Amino acid sequence: MKQAIRPLTYTLLALLGFSALWLTWTETRAGADYRNDPRNIRAFEPPGDPSRGRVVTADGVVVAEDGPDGSRRYPEGAVYAHLVGFDSDGGRRGVERTRFGAMASRDDGSITSWLLGLLGADLGPPDVRLTIVDEVQQAAYDALGGRTGAVVALDPRTGAVIAYVSSPSFDPNDVVDGSLDPDDADAEEALRDRVADRVLPPGSTFKVLVTAAAMRAGLDGDSEIQAGASYTPPGGGMPIRNAGDGGCGGDLVTLTRALVVSCNTAFARLAVDLGAGRIVDIAEAAGFNRAIPWETGTVRSSIPSAAALQSDPPALAQSGIGERDVRATPLLMALIAAAIANDGVAMAPHVVDALVAPDGEVLHDTGTRFLHRLVPPGTARDIAGMMIEVVVGGTGGPASVPGVEIAAKTGTAEGSGGPHAWIIAFGPAGEPTIAVAVVVEGGGSGGQVAGPIARAVIEAWLGYGE
Amino acid sequence: MSRRAETALVVFAAIIAAGGTALVSLTADDRLTIDTAAAFGAHLAAFGGLLVAIRRWAPAASRVLLPPVAFVTALGVIEVFRIDRDLGRIQRWWMLLAAAIAAAVVYLLRRRGVEVLRRFRYLWLATALGLLMLPLTPSSWPLGGATVNGSRLWVRLDLGERTLSFQPGEAAKILLVVFLASYLADRWQALAAMPRELGPLRLPEPRQLVPVFIAFGVSLGVLAYQRDLGASLLLFVVFVLMLFAATDRPTYLAAGGALAAGGAVAAASSFDHVAVRVEAWLRPFEDFTGGGYQVAQSLFALADAGILGSGIGNGQPYLIPAAATDYVFVAITEEMGLAGGLAMLAAYAIIVAAGFAIALRAAHRFRSLLAAGLTIVIAVQTLLIVAGVLRLMPLTGITLPFASYGGSSLLSNMVLVVLLARVSHEERA
Repeated sequence: MKQAIRPLTYTLLALLGFSALWLTWTETRAGADYRNDPRNIRAFEPPGDPSRGRVVTADGVVVAEDGPDGSRRYPEGAVYAHLVGFDSDGGRRGVERTRFGAMASRDDGSITSWLLGLLGADLGPPDVRLTIVDEVQQAAYDALGGRTGAVVALDPRTGAVIAYVSSPSFDPNDVVDGSLDPDDADAEEALRDRVADRVLPPGSTFKVLVTAAAMRAGLDGDSEIQAGASYTPPGGGMPIRNAGDGGCGGDLVTLTRALVVSCNTAFARLAVDLGAGRIVDIAEAAGFNRAIPWETGTVRSSIPSAAALQSDPPALAQSGIGERDVRATPLLMALIAAAIANDGVAMAPHVVDALVAPDGEVLHDTGTRFLHRLVPPGTARDIAGMMIEVVVGGTGGPASVPGVEIAAKTGTAEGSGGPHAWIIAFGPAGEPTIAVAVVVEGGGSGGQVAGPIARAVIEAWLGYGE
Repeated sequence: MSRRAETALVVFAAIIAAGGTALVSLTADDRLTIDTAAAFGAHLAAFGGLLVAIRRWAPAASRVLLPPVAFVTALGVIEVFRIDRDLGRIQRWWMLLAAAIAAAVVYLLRRRGVEVLRRFRYLWLATALGLLMLPLTPSSWPLGGATVNGSRLWVRLDLGERTLSFQPGEAAKILLVVFLASYLADRWQALAAMPRELGPLRLPEPRQLVPVFIAFGVSLGVLAYQRDLGASLLLFVVFVLMLFAATDRPTYLAAGGALAAGGAVAAASSFDHVAVRVEAWLRPFEDFTGGGYQVAQSLFALADAGILGSGIGNGQPYLIPAAATDYVFVAITEEMGLAGGLAMLAAYAIIVAAGFAIALRAAHRFRSLLAAGLTIVIAVQTLLIVAGVLRLMPLTGITLPFASYGGSSLLSNMVLVVLLARVSHEERA
C-alpha cells in the first residue's frame, strides 16, 4: 500500500508544479496576444481617471487632445497624421500608440496614487511635448503640397526631429469617427509613413557616403579621379552615363568637382576602385542594414553584402551612385546629413521632448543620446565644405537661402513612375542647426523639385529661431 | 513546526485577510469600512478557534496543515469580497460555521478517534448515495432539488419565508472516502490478487472488478442526471486512485484510465453540456459571444495580470462569469498576479504533501487509506479546477478548495482537514 502512495504523492505534486509552470507561461508568453485582442474590453476600461494628456508641439500647438465626448481629436488634421497617428476603436498608431500609457492619468485608482494625491501631487494626465516646431512642420507640409513624398528635418546637435511630413496624408479625425478604416486597402497609400516605413533608392545623395569612403581610404577633396562621359565597369553591362549625357569637365576631375556636379561616371568607377568592402562598411556605419531607433519604429535601409557586390562589378558601380539594390528611408538620409553637419556624429533621432504634468512639472525628459560616429570630425568638415559648393555652384542651387550658407546633395533616382527627386541638406554651414531630407516620388530632378522644399523648411526654421 | 510558528502563521493569515479587505474597500469604495475588522475577527475566530480545538482534543496533530489552509482561505475571502461585497460578507459567516462544525467533529472524535468511522461504513455509503440523489427530488418538496446554471446539484431547504441552498454532493465526497477507506482496508487482498492472465495482462477475478464498474456507474449517473461534470470526474478519479493505493496494482489505474477515456469520449458526443465545454476549451474564440465567452474572458484576465497583478481592487475579475466560484483562481491571479497564483499553488502543494506524509506515517491500514483518500480529494479537486481555468483541460466546474465562494464546499473541506489532523494525532499519540 505504501508503495503506491509514494508515486501517487509525487505524481499529484508534479501535476501541481506543472500547473504552476503553465500559469507562468500563460502570463508571460501568451499574454500579449490576448491583451491586443480587439474583443478584450479590459484594455478600454481602465480604473481611475480615464482622461488622457495632450500632444503639444515645441511651440505650443496642440495636435492631439481629448474631445468633449472622451474620444480623441486632432486639431491639425492631416499635417501630423503619420507622426502623431490616432487612437480609435479600431486601433492606435504613431505617438498616440507609443505614448498611450504615458498620457494616462497617474490617478490609476491605486493606494499609491491616493497617497500621492494627499501629498499634493498633480496626478492629472501628462502632456507629451514634441520636438516638432509647428511653423516648420506647416512649411514642410505646404511646400510638399500634396505630392507623394516625405520631408524630415532634425536638429543635428541633438537628434530632435523638427518636421516630419508624409504625403499623401489623411485626417486622423476620420479614423476616430469611423469614416476611414485604417485596415482598408484603399487607405493604405495615404496611411503609409513615407519617412520611416518606405525605402527608395537614394540616388546621388548616396555619393556623400562614397565620398566619405574615399576619404577614409586616403583621398581628399583635391585628389583627382577619373571621370569621362561613359564608364563600363569590368564585367560589362550597360555603360554608366551622366545626367545630360555629358562629361564632368574633363577626364580627370577633383573629388570635390565630382560631387558638386554629381558625376555618375566618376563615382561608379570610384566605387569599383575602392572595392565593395569600403562602400558597404561606410554604409553600415551610416545605419544601413541595421535597426535605427525611432519613436514609431522604422524599416531597415539596405545595401547588399560586400561579398555579393564584389563579385558583381556592374552592381557595385551602380551602387556607387545609389541605384540598383541600395534602399534608404528619408529618415536615414536625414540622419546622414545630420552626422556630416555635427562633426561626424549622429545623435539618436527622437521626437518626444518631455512628459509634462498639468502643473508644468517635467515628469520625464528624453534627453539626447549618441547614436554612432559616421566619420572623423576633419572628414565631416571637408565633406560639408564640398556640399556647400554643391549649393553655390552645382546641382543644389534651388536649396540656397539668401544670406545663409547651406550645404546639400541632390539625387535623382530611377523610379518606375518617373525619377524620385531627393535632396539632403543642412545649414547654416559652420554651425548647423537643421538637417533635412526630402523625397518627392516620381517628382523629377532632385535639385529642381526637392531643392525648393528643403529651402522652405530651412527658412521656416531659421525664421522661427529669430 | 513549532506551536508558536503555527499560531503566528494563522494570525498572519488573518492579517492578510484584513489587509486585502482594506485594499478592496479603499480602492473600490474610497473608504475603510467595518469589513476590515470583521475580516480580521472572523478569520482569527475561525482558524484560531480550530487551532485551539485541535490542540485540546487532538494535541499531537500535524501542525503543518492549518496555516496553508488559513492562507488560501484568506486569499479566497478577499477575492470573493472584491468580486461581490455581499457574497464576501456571507462567506465570512460560512467560514465561521464551517470552523465551528469542524471543531465539533474534532470534539466528537476525541476519545475513540476515526476508528468509529470505520465501524459504520455502510451507514456512510447509504448516506452518501442518499445525499447524491437528494437534488433529484422534486423542487416542490420542502427539501427539494434545484437547478442552478443548468446543473442539478443543489438542494433547497424551505425555512418559512427564506430558503437555504446547499450542495449535498460536497458532503458525500467525504463520506464516500471514509467508506472506501474502510472497505478497502478489509478487502484489499481479494482485490490485489491477480489470478487470471490475459496475454501479458494479469487480471483479478472479474467479480472483484464490480466495485470499479459501480463507481463508474455512480459517476456517470451524477454526470447524466445532475449534469455535474466536475463532481462526476472527481468521484471517479478518487475512487480509482484509492483502489490503486490500497492494492498497489497498476491494473486498476489502467482499467480506470481506459474507462475514463471511453467515458469522456462518449460523454462529449452524447451530452450537449459536455460538448460545449470541450468546444470552449479547444476553440474559445470561435464562439466568443456564446460558449467560449467565459474561457476567453479568463484568458484576458490572465493576460492582464503580469507578475504582481493589477493590484487588489484594480482588476476587472467581475467580467468573467462565475468569477467567485469556478474562476476564483483566475480572479486572484488577475489582481495578485503570477506571484499570488503561484503562492496559492504552493500552499496547496504543502497541504497535499502534508496529507500524504500523514498517510505514509500511519501504521494502520484504514487510517493510512483514509488520510490518502482525503488528500487525494483535495489534490484532484484543486488540479481539476486549476487545470480547467488555465485551459489545460476542459472546465469541469468545481470549487477550488477553501477559496471559492460556497458554504457547502468550505464546510466539507474544513471537515476533511480536521479528519486529516485527527489521523495524524492518532499516529503520534
